Amino acid sequence: MSMAGAGAVYDRGYRPYDGSRGRRGAATFALYKASIRRALGLRRTWRQKFAPFVLLGIVTIPAVVNVGIGYVTRDRLDNKIEIITYRNYVGVSSALLLFVALVAPDVMCPDRRQKVLPLMFARPLTGVDYVIAKVGAIGSILFAFSFLPQVVLFVGNMLVSDSAGKYFTGHLDILWRVPVTVLMLAAFYAVVGVAIGSLTDRRIVAGSAVIGLLLITSIASSVMVGEIVNGHGSIAALVNVLSLPLYLRDLVFLGHIDPTSPLAGVSNGGLFAVATYVAILLVGVGVLLQRYRWVEH
Amino acid sequence: MVVLASPLLRIDRLTKRYPGVTALDGLTIELPRGLVGLVGANGAGKTTMFRMLLGISKPTEGSIEVCGIDVAKDPIGVRSRLGYMPEHDCLPLDQTAADVVSTFGELSGLPARAARQRASDILDLVGLDEARFRPIGGFSTGMRQRTKLAQALVGDPELVLLDEPTAGLDPLGREEMLALVARLGTFGISVIMATHLLDDVQQVCDHVVMIDAGRLVVSGGTDSLLERTGLVTVDVGVRGDELVAGLVLVGLAAVAEDGLVEVTVEGNHQMDLLRDVIAERGLPLYRLSTRLTSLDEVFLRLAGTQS
Repeated sequence: MSMAGAGAVYDRGYRPYDGSRGRRGAATFALYKASIRRALGLRRTWRQKFAPFVLLGIVTIPAVVNVGIGYVTRDRLDNKIEIITYRNYVGVSSALLLFVALVAPDVMCPDRRQKVLPLMFARPLTGVDYVIAKVGAIGSILFAFSFLPQVVLFVGNMLVSDSAGKYFTGHLDILWRVPVTVLMLAAFYAVVGVAIGSLTDRRIVAGSAVIGLLLITSIASSVMVGEIVNGHGSIAALVNVLSLPLYLRDLVFLGHIDPTSPLAGVSNGGLFAVATYVAILLVGVGVLLQRYRWVEH
Repeated sequence: MVVLASPLLRIDRLTKRYPGVTALDGLTIELPRGLVGLVGANGAGKTTMFRMLLGISKPTEGSIEVCGIDVAKDPIGVRSRLGYMPEHDCLPLDQTAADVVSTFGELSGLPARAARQRASDILDLVGLDEARFRPIGGFSTGMRQRTKLAQALVGDPELVLLDEPTAGLDPLGREEMLALVARLGTFGISVIMATHLLDDVQQVCDHVVMIDAGRLVVSGGTDSLLERTGLVTVDVGVRGDELVAGLVLVGLAAVAEDGLVEVTVEGNHQMDLLRDVIAERGLPLYRLSTRLTSLDEVFLRLAGTQS
């Protein structure tokens, strides 16, 4: 008989698994978690963690500064300083498109480049599940990175206000306007970023394409809209992919398009903005479903 | 409900046509549980068949049942019971073996904790226990093949599909991989191993399916295929031609080569005939030995006959 204390090596053989076992939902959730880990650089080197968390810090700074100033000026009853509003903060979060350009290709391209997809689709997972998991992962991070600073801003403002209770009851609308707009922003950027990432197996190409889309549509829109005279913009403002969710933000916060925006004064501008937003979302989802229609007929 | 007594695989008139090419043509097979070799030249339709078993490619005609489940009706149910090891590189190179195998365990439906535990056990089983926290990008070909096998096993499948598991391995790595595959049978896991290396099949598998250009060449037990097509070598000194003539008269195929007579013998009855011819003609018998043909020879002969 071998003695454990003598350093015996045991062949543990194979143990069958007789516990609970999920199906599509479990597989989709597992891929969702794995994609979030990858996007945030968890279980990876510090270099992969650097970009996401630095970006989270950057988008949170305005909230912290605003709360800090509010604290310092809390005794000035006449003229409280507010450097950023909840509505404007959603615009700050549009900087997260840079995060999308960096992370969405990293979450999508290696699966295709390293030919991991056949292994995934040999599991109880369909192309639709794959798309849901990937868009869900990027969208969740974008939502969290956009929403957390707003929470910091809200809680901070509430604490430095004269009466936290009054502040809370006076800003109840924020409790639904912010999540709704942030959700629209996150869903839009996630679908656009992931769809572009699905079109190539090279991360650098996908990342450049996201940045290129942002720059080209922004410049093209500016050139086409030209100078805004007497609050009259142009329908061409909708070409700007970066700004599109911000028109929807205005609809949620103001009930109409902001009079200073390039879409101001356009008849049914809000309706066109919603239609363009939905159309781009549908095109993005269509591209994704086509790219991951894994079962061939 | 899955009945354990159901055959491992039941394929009925399976056909897959692509524009301009028929990858599988009316394949009908029933396979028992155990270790099965799927043999054919490159382009014979092995990978196509695997894709259809997994439900990620639909047959043009015909039906497939895996472990008693109709693939067309419940592809997800089938994939929950299968493990798949592709031929090509398919691993994320910047992740550790433990992370990859654990993630694929979860993708197979296992809870996170169970997946991590099983990943550890399975990597131990395939001999990667000490390397499991290293990125796969730094692995040798043999270690990558083992990782691919581990991810196929982590979900505790009833059936594992192995596509060319020894491809690219050196002789030692090949022997170790085949030993691992052989062990799977002792764990109650059925295996279908697609390969063009018939030696691998002969060494490991109980059952062989040979396909050529999408058509079934033969399906049967490895031993029975070798026995049925066995050659007997007879040394009767200088009277070899006389033996050949006598054997031809009783209907046995025989040729004299280099002073020896090679007789094609199928079953005990023909063996008795050979003995009788030698005895009746009073031929001196210096040596009589059974030479089992290799599966390569069986394949070449049967595929040649069909074409």
